[in-house]
Amino acid sequence: MPRPLRQRKQVEILSLKDAVKKYMRDGLICAYSGFTGFNRNPVAFAWETVRQGFKDLHIMDRHGSCCTWLLNTVGAMKIFETDWMGWGEMAGKLDISLERLYKAGQIILEDHAHGAMAMRYLAGAIGAPFIPYYAPLGSDIYNPDYDALGRAGLRDGKNPRIAKKKFIQIEDPFFGDGDVVLLPAARPDVAVIHVAQAGDKGTARWRGVGTIDKEIAFAADKVVLICEELVAESEMRKSPEANQIPFFVVDCIVEQPWGAFPSSVPFYYDYDAPFMKGMDAASRKEEDLKKWLDEWVFGPKDWEDFMVKLGAKRLLDLKADSVTGYSTRMMRGKKPAPRMKMPLSVARSGF
Amino acid sequence: MQLVDKMPDEPAKPGEFILPELMAIAVAHEVRDDDIVFAGTGLPMVGIMAANLLNAPHALLIYESGICDGKTMHVPMSVADQRAANMSSTLGGLVDTFGYYLQQGYITLGFLGGAAIDKYGGVNVTSIGDYFAPVHRFTGSGGNSDIGTMAGRTTYIILQEKRRFLERNDYTTTPGWWCWDFKTREWKPKKEVWKNTPFANCGPASVVTNMAVYRFDENGIIYLDTNHPGVSVAQVSENCGFDLNVERLKGETPPPTYKELFVLREFVDPELIFLPQKMDYPPAIQSIIDSQ
Repeated sequence: MPRPLRQRKQVEILSLKDAVKKYMRDGLICAYSGFTGFNRNPVAFAWETVRQGFKDLHIMDRHGSCCTWLLNTVGAMKIFETDWMGWGEMAGKLDISLERLYKAGQIILEDHAHGAMAMRYLAGAIGAPFIPYYAPLGSDIYNPDYDALGRAGLRDGKNPRIAKKKFIQIEDPFFGDGDVVLLPAARPDVAVIHVAQAGDKGTARWRGVGTIDKEIAFAADKVVLICEELVAESEMRKSPEANQIPFFVVDCIVEQPWGAFPSSVPFYYDYDAPFMKGMDAASRKEEDLKKWLDEWVFGPKDWEDFMVKLGAKRLLDLKADSVTGYSTRMMRGKKPAPRMKMPLSVARSGF
Repeated sequence: MQLVDKMPDEPAKPGEFILPELMAIAVAHEVRDDDIVFAGTGLPMVGIMAANLLNAPHALLIYESGICDGKTMHVPMSVADQRAANMSSTLGGLVDTFGYYLQQGYITLGFLGGAAIDKYGGVNVTSIGDYFAPVHRFTGSGGNSDIGTMAGRTTYIILQEKRRFLERNDYTTTPGWWCWDFKTREWKPKKEVWKNTPFANCGPASVVTNMAVYRFDENGIIYLDTNHPGVSVAQVSENCGFDLNVERLKGETPPPTYKELFVLREFVDPELIFLPQKMDYPPAIQSIIDSQ
C-alpha cells in the first residue's frame, strides 16, 4: 500500500532457507509470480515454506500454481483470493486438496474475474485505492450475496489489507458509459517473484510472458526475488530495456537455479508435464499424497538434493534450447515432439 | 507446393475421423480471417490453431498471459507456455490482454470452455449446488467471465449432458444473453443490465458440443443449428435439460475434410496431447503421402 518511505530499501542476498525464515509469517498475505503451474512459479520458496511449517496464509494471486498446490497439500492456506483455483491446466486442472479442504470448511475461497485480479494488482502497483473495471455485471462473482470474506467477518477493517467491501457497482459519473465495478487495490504483504536473472542490487529480468509480476512487485510491501542467475548489477545495465523490475523495490534476492521446477523458466528450462501429472495423481488419495510429500518435500535435505534426486537425465531433457526457449525432448503427450524449422502458420499468414 | 496443399478438400467418411477432430474443426470454422481471437486452454486452443492453418490464416491470437499473435510450432499445454509465445508480435502481461486489448474493445471473438451452460448462454465454471456448500467446486472464472462478456462474440466448447445443459445455472460465472440485475434483483436481458456500456451487444454466438452446434436467436435463446453426423436430433434433445428449439436446424455438421484432418494430426497435435489416440490415415491421405 502507498507508504512514503523515510529510507530507501536495502537489498540483501540470502539463502532460500534464510529468506523463507525472514520473510514468511503465519497469516501473511502473499502473492506468487508466473502463470498457473507452467511459467515461473517460485516453487522452491513455497516448498521451503511448507517445510518450515508456516500456516494460515492468505494467498492473493492471479490463480493457482504449483506453489498453491504445495501449500494445499498440507493445509497451509487459510484464505485463497483469486480468479482461477486450478493449478496445472492440461497436466492437472483441479486442485484436489483444495476441493477437499473447501468441502471440510477449512479454507475460504474468494472468487474474482481474471481481469479483475489484474486490475486490482494494477491499482495496488500505482498506489491507487481502487480501480473501475467492466467486471462482468450479472455474474455471480459480483453478486453482493457471494462475498466470502465478508461472510467470514473479515471485512471489519481489522486487517488494513483486506478491503471493507468486495466491490461497489456504480454508474460511470464522467462519460455515462453504463455501470462499472469499483475494485479495491490488491495490497499483499509479500510478493515472491521468480526471475531469470537478477543483478546483485536487485534489477531483474525475465524472458517470455510477464503476466502481472511487475504489478505484484509494486503492490506488495516486501519483494523477494528468486533468480536462476545472480549476476553483477553492471551486467544488467548494459541492456536496460530488457529489464522489468527496477532494483529499488526489491528487499531480498535468493539465487536458486532450477527453483521454478516443475514449472518453466523460458530459455532456461521447460515445464515437467509428467512430473505435474504425477503430482495430480498423488493428490487423489491421502495415503499417496503423504508418500509423495515424504519423498519430494520432506525427504530432500535441500533444493539441490531435490534436483539430485530428479537426476541428470531429467534435467537434460528439460533444458530449454536457446532458439525457442523450450525443450522438444520431453514427452508431453503420447508421441515425441516433431522437429520443425518454421511454423506453418507463418507460411500461411505470409509473414 | 507443400504436402498439405495437395490434400483433397473432400469430406472424410465416417470412421476416418474421431469426435474430438470433428469438434476442433467445427470450432475452427467459427473463426473469420479478420478476427482478433482471445482463446482459453484446451480444445479452444486446438481449434484456433487449426483455424490459423486453414480457414483463417490472418486471424490474430491473444492468450491471456500476455501473448499477442504467436506463431506456434508445438501445441501449448498452457496459455503461458513459451510454445505459444513463439514469434509473437509483442509479449506483455495480464494488464495488456484484459485492459489494453479486451476492455479497450479490440477482441472480436472469445474462445472458451465451460462446465455447464444455460439456455441463454450463461456459463458456469465455478460450482454446482449451493455456492458456499457445493456438491462440486470447479476452478472458477479465470478469464472466462471477462472474455465471455467483453469479446464481440464468443464460442463455447462444452461437453453435452443433461445436467450440463440447463434452464438456469446454479452459479453464473459468465452471464449470457439474460442475467441477474443485482441492483433490482430482476432477471433481465444482458443488453439492459449492460445498458450504455460499450459491451451491451457482446455475448455468446455459438456453442460446440460433442453432439451438435448451437446458435442464439433474436431473444438470446439457444437453438440447434447442426447435429453431428451419427447423432440424431432426438438424442440431442434428450441430452438437454430444457425444451430445445430444433426448428432452425440446418442439417448435419460438416465432417472434417482430408486436408483439415491432415493439418490437425500433422501440425496441430502430432504429440497427441489433446487428441486421444493415433489413428491411421485414411487411404485418400496415405496415398498422397506415399506418392512423395
